[in-house]
Amino acid sequence: MKENPLHHFELHPLVHLNLMGIDISLNKGIFIMWVGLALVFGMFMLIRQKGVRLVPTKLQSVAEMALLFLRGLVDEFIGKEERKFFPFVASLFFFILSCNVIGLFPGSYTLTSQLVVTGTFALFIFLMTLLIGFGRHGLRFFGILLPAGIPKILIPLMIPIEIISMLARPFSLAVRLFANMTAGHTILAVLFGMTLSLPWFIGVLPFGFTIAINGLELMVAFIQAYIFTTLTCFYIGDVIKMH
Amino acid sequence: MNKGSGLQQGLGLAFRLGTEMVVTTMIGVLMGYAIDHFFNTRPWGILAGVIFGGAAGCLRVYRTAMGLQVDEDKNNGDQTPNGEGL
Repeated sequence: MKENPLHHFELHPLVHLNLMGIDISLNKGIFIMWVGLALVFGMFMLIRQKGVRLVPTKLQSVAEMALLFLRGLVDEFIGKEERKFFPFVASLFFFILSCNVIGLFPGSYTLTSQLVVTGTFALFIFLMTLLIGFGRHGLRFFGILLPAGIPKILIPLMIPIEIISMLARPFSLAVRLFANMTAGHTILAVLFGMTLSLPWFIGVLPFGFTIAINGLELMVAFIQAYIFTTLTCFYIGDVIKMH
Repeated sequence: MNKGSGLQQGLGLAFRLGTEMVVTTMIGVLMGYAIDHFFNTRPWGILAGVIFGGAAGCLRVYRTAMGLQVDEDKNNGDQTPNGEGL
């Protein structure tokens, strides 16, 4: 049996839907996205339903720790007076985290291993930062392309470099999350393929590795969600403060 | 879920810097390629794109590193690093 290690990233329509000539068929990724949303929503609703207590339950203290940590990020990178970005940042973090973690369960699907998903997040964040920047600073926002205190002779050289580095922000956000998730799951698939195709006394070795790498992937799932949110905060803070 | 720990931040940084340079160079190349395609200036656009993209990538990594340096020198928690991407 030949098994392609990239096979499990392919998405096929499960429910065929057609809306006025536009193909909106549902596939596994969309269902997993709903599961992710439901999981985050359900967790916070469960905490609310149990009642927020002074002496927190286990679930409540985990949620409180995570939210305090995220509020710290917003305060540090965007500013204490800009707490209105906190709900957006927190939703982003929990959604990406849940998508990453759901993908680790066998048989499910890693939504964040699709460049179109991470790309949509990154593009949305990029457009949002541009809107905030132009809204706050007007045309002075173009000043972000000129770092403070550079000699006049370097200006024609610096502007293309700064434009490229500005445009690289959404791309690096999207590619980092996508690449890390895809790479991890490909390694798992390759190792598992080796386990199945080798005789059992050798195959037990790659099987052990799959377990170890699964643990590593759990850490990567957290770290990637953390990096994505940190950078989002940083980019929003950067256009508000303008260097 | 001790997310603010040093290990987590260090790993985050390590995961970030690698992609940063590659992606920035790629953007430069893509922009150069687009300029070539639309203005018929093949090979010059892509050449300039590689150089500018590489320069931008180095600059981004340099700024992140410098931001860390400043952070470590001051050695206190309330100092926000001013590096790119941190």
